[in-house]
Amino acid sequence: MLKFKLYYDKDAEEVWLREMSLKGWGLKKFFLGFYTFEPCEPGEYNYQIDLLDNWSGNKSDYVAFMEDLGVEVIEQWWRWVYLRKKAAAGPFEMYTDAESKIILYRKIINFFKIFLVIEAICFFMELTATIRTGNFVFGIFTVLLGAISFAILTVVWKCKWKIEQLRNEESRVS
Amino acid sequence: MDYSSPLTEAIFYILLAVRAPNHGYGIIQDVNEMTGGRVVLGPGTLYGAINTMLSKGWICLFSEDKESRKKKEYLLTKIGREIFEKEVKRLNELVENAKKMD
Repeated sequence: MLKFKLYYDKDAEEVWLREMSLKGWGLKKFFLGFYTFEPCEPGEYNYQIDLLDNWSGNKSDYVAFMEDLGVEVIEQWWRWVYLRKKAAAGPFEMYTDAESKIILYRKIINFFKIFLVIEAICFFMELTATIRTGNFVFGIFTVLLGAISFAILTVVWKCKWKIEQLRNEESRVS
Repeated sequence: MDYSSPLTEAIFYILLAVRAPNHGYGIIQDVNEMTGGRVVLGPGTLYGAINTMLSKGWICLFSEDKESRKKKEYLLTKIGREIFEKEVKRLNELVENAKKMD
């Protein structure tokens, strides 16, 4: 089964993949918003999404490390990786303390920041083109780019909010 | 990230778990046992912590099973032990002072 979805929030994406697994569909492939599912036992897998430090990096080291822990790397898309673990093998949470969760959300913010800058530049270029020419095609692109920029901005805000929550949690316990 | 004193619980227990050569899965299990299931190390948390500590020289690579390309073993270094002992000293001070409560 093939599904198309655009996720900017990896936490929400993980929840969705879990829901699909409960319905008997396990993620097999991912490319540019296209998710390929194959039938699985309902609830067979739990999913997590991770962001690697760099593009190529030491990927085989990462994959071997995860395999040793019963975690399967299903797909790598850019720096993003999709991981799954059999639900029968116990709970699956990649990051279990506030410190490492904060590191991950910081990484995500830095990842999206680059795109935010690019999208924002394109948005203003299209905007000036729209105003100058009055052409509605430019107008459509302006709205589209504006929407994407806003979506990315929302992710950055969300990550910042999550870091703030984790910090509060941290200061309560230590 | 800077893991200087005070150490996080994860770092503290990983250092303890590699006082003898240990691999990823072994570290998770040992820490789980030592804390009665209270401290659970997620794969990502462990991977990040190991790489940070390797680059800082607190732990080193002890062995690598070339055949299965899996199961790298890690071992505490002299620097790692010093960091750990410094932390224990700090914790002891806390406990000593805590006794004043009674």
